[in-house]
Amino acid sequence: MAKEHRAGSKVRGDKLPAILMANHLLEGDVVFLADGGWTLDPSGAKIAHDAETAAAMEAEGKAAAAANAVVDPYLVPVDLTTTGLPVARHFRDAMRQKGPSVHPDMGKQAEYAPIR
Amino acid sequence: MYRYDEFDERFVRERVAQFRGQVERRLEGSLTEDEFKPLRLKNGLYLQLHAYMLRIAVPYGTLNSRQLRQLAHIAETYDKGYGHFTTRQNLQFNWPKLKDVPDILDLLADVEMHCIQTSGNCIRNVTADQFAGVAKDEVEDPRPTAELLRQWSSLHPEFVWLPRKFKIAVTGAEHDRAAIKVHDIGLKLKRNAAGEVGYEVIVGGGLGRTPMIGKVVRDFLPKEELLAYLEAIMRVYNSEGRRDNKYKARVKILVHETGEEEFRARVEEEYAKLDGPTINAPEEEVERIAAYFAPPAYEDLAEDSATLDGARASDPALDRFVEQNGFAHKQPGYIALTIALKEIGAVPGDMSADQMRAFADIAEKYSFDEFRVTHSQNLVLPHVKKDDLPAVYAALKEAGLASANAGLITDIIACPGLDYCALATAKSIPIAQDIAKTFADPDRQKAIGDLPIKISGCINACGHHHVGAIGILGLEKGGRENYQITIGGDATEHAALGERLGPGIDAGDVPGAIEAVVETYLAEKQGSESFIETVRRTGAEPFKAGFTAFIEARAAAQSEAAE
Ligand code: HEM
Ligand code: SF4
Repeated sequence: MAKEHRAGSKVRGDKLPAILMANHLLEGDVVFLADGGWTLDPSGAKIAHDAETAAAMEAEGKAAAAANAVVDPYLVPVDLTTTGLPVARHFRDAMRQKGPSVHPDMGKQAEYAPIR
Repeated sequence: MYRYDEFDERFVRERVAQFRGQVERRLEGSLTEDEFKPLRLKNGLYLQLHAYMLRIAVPYGTLNSRQLRQLAHIAETYDKGYGHFTTRQNLQFNWPKLKDVPDILDLLADVEMHCIQTSGNCIRNVTADQFAGVAKDEVEDPRPTAELLRQWSSLHPEFVWLPRKFKIAVTGAEHDRAAIKVHDIGLKLKRNAAGEVGYEVIVGGGLGRTPMIGKVVRDFLPKEELLAYLEAIMRVYNSEGRRDNKYKARVKILVHETGEEEFRARVEEEYAKLDGPTINAPEEEVERIAAYFAPPAYEDLAEDSATLDGARASDPALDRFVEQNGFAHKQPGYIALTIALKEIGAVPGDMSADQMRAFADIAEKYSFDEFRVTHSQNLVLPHVKKDDLPAVYAALKEAGLASANAGLITDIIACPGLDYCALATAKSIPIAQDIAKTFADPDRQKAIGDLPIKISGCINACGHHHVGAIGILGLEKGGRENYQITIGGDATEHAALGERLGPGIDAGDVPGAIEAVVETYLAEKQGSESFIETVRRTGAEPFKAGFTAFIEARAAAQSEAAE
């Protein structure tokens, strides 16, 4: 079976800081790895500032996928806002952090505080 | 309309039960994602950027009011209150939860619907002319053929794991509205010199990464030989089609690499080996299927309706709607209507649950309980009495479904693109919205005339950009979205692939570039030529010049602003 899509951020170059993003298996919703578990809230994502933390988070994501909690976990390079919140650097990842641009009434942007 | 027999019913129910079991095993952990994915795809379930997506088959684009009401119910109960009609005449829900999907499939089965053949490397849901059974230029209704193919292909053991997906489209009309030349197999019902009905068989068309126009492999195939002949094509493809590289696995590549002559010879060779009569459908079965598509009980009416003429004279909006969205019907006194899901600024193809219910009522009351989905992401009321048209228009208007722009520059096809699609390289829907807003003025649209714009958010070409009179392809360049514009593409019997106008541009420049292209057309146009006719006559050169001038002017304005 050919792979229908490849999970993974398309950002080139520097990959830090980063967060870990996946889809929740049952719901399908985008989830973020937080301290001790997964959150639906993009502001709650745990941020890796160094390579070791990023590697540990990636391993945690793989384990969660193996345990059938999430699907397609991958690290997402981010910039930080003045208040320290993560904004995905690639527009594709940013779309997943917010929800469809054509439906501001749907997805994360409708359910959680915006990242500023 | 086709109604399930016991066999269909049992088959669909069994598939739902089977998938319910698969979901349970996935949720309890005995199936991994890698094991589960091909199974969910066989049932039309994808994982997209934000959520799962469920693709529901609408065989040859025909639906009734009960089915649409059920879709409205599903949209409200399990999704976010809307559905999205696609270029494959299917419907997609963008937010279902995995755990709910088996229940959704059961609700679909209650109204004789399913998600089979909407995904995976099988023969996909067969598409057809949206004016099937209605069009004046039709030799024969293509839907009985499409239904026969559905029955033949959905269980055929040889075709369950093809090298790649396989799409068949059928038309029965002279004018091709089903894009048969850009499908893996395109079938056109026609008459030979002796007046017998048969098929022109076209193989190897396709869009995507390597767009190709299909080749005629049989100019006239007697009608009763259809299944055996297609089986021969499928066997050649199944044994020789490439399985080593998914980008080369479609039949178009096989036809291209083998050569048209040689491919035709191989098909004929395979065909000669087959025992036709054991494969071809028995005459009674063909007749049984055709009976489902018998014309509804039309009234005997005069061709013209004084009621309609009077209403058109006093209501210019109605007049414009009928002129633009009306389609000549075989039956005197009737008309087919295109319902463009293309209000200015709306998402092409989206329909809310409320609109679905309102539309179901209209179809039930005024169109023999039947409607169609078109590959332009629109709907069709196939059999409206002209006398009823003023009432139908009023009801459509009330539901926000009376957009009088069918076929015009604002009737844009757009794939979901980066707003939903996991494969996208750029957004597609917002580009359509921006162009529609730019050309919102109805008089301006009318002056420009028919101009199909088609937009895809990546090279897979789900938005048919290669065959748009203006095609737009969204890519990623240097971390930004970037759009390539083509012109001269055509999905009809004059099938052609578009030609690039120049380098890719930013999203914000697209509406301006389209305006430049349109200005070129209006300047070059002779007589009553449509956009595509002008391009066919002049070639792309004048349009390239207009496009280049636009880009240069933009660049100059930008550097001035920067100073
Ligand atoms: C959203 C999830 C979708 C995915 C993952 C997807 C995937 C793909 C892929 C991979 C191809 C290229 C196939 C090839 O060339 O072998 C393709 C082509 C195509 N898809 Fe989609 N697609 C999606 C949505 C749609 C939608 C919404 C439509 C209708 C609007 C659509 C209609 C088509 C058509 C018409 C083609 C090109 C025709 C051809 O196959 O030659 N797809 N799709
Ligand atoms: S063309 Fe690309 S972006 Fe658009 S729906 Fe198809 S796969 Fe997705």
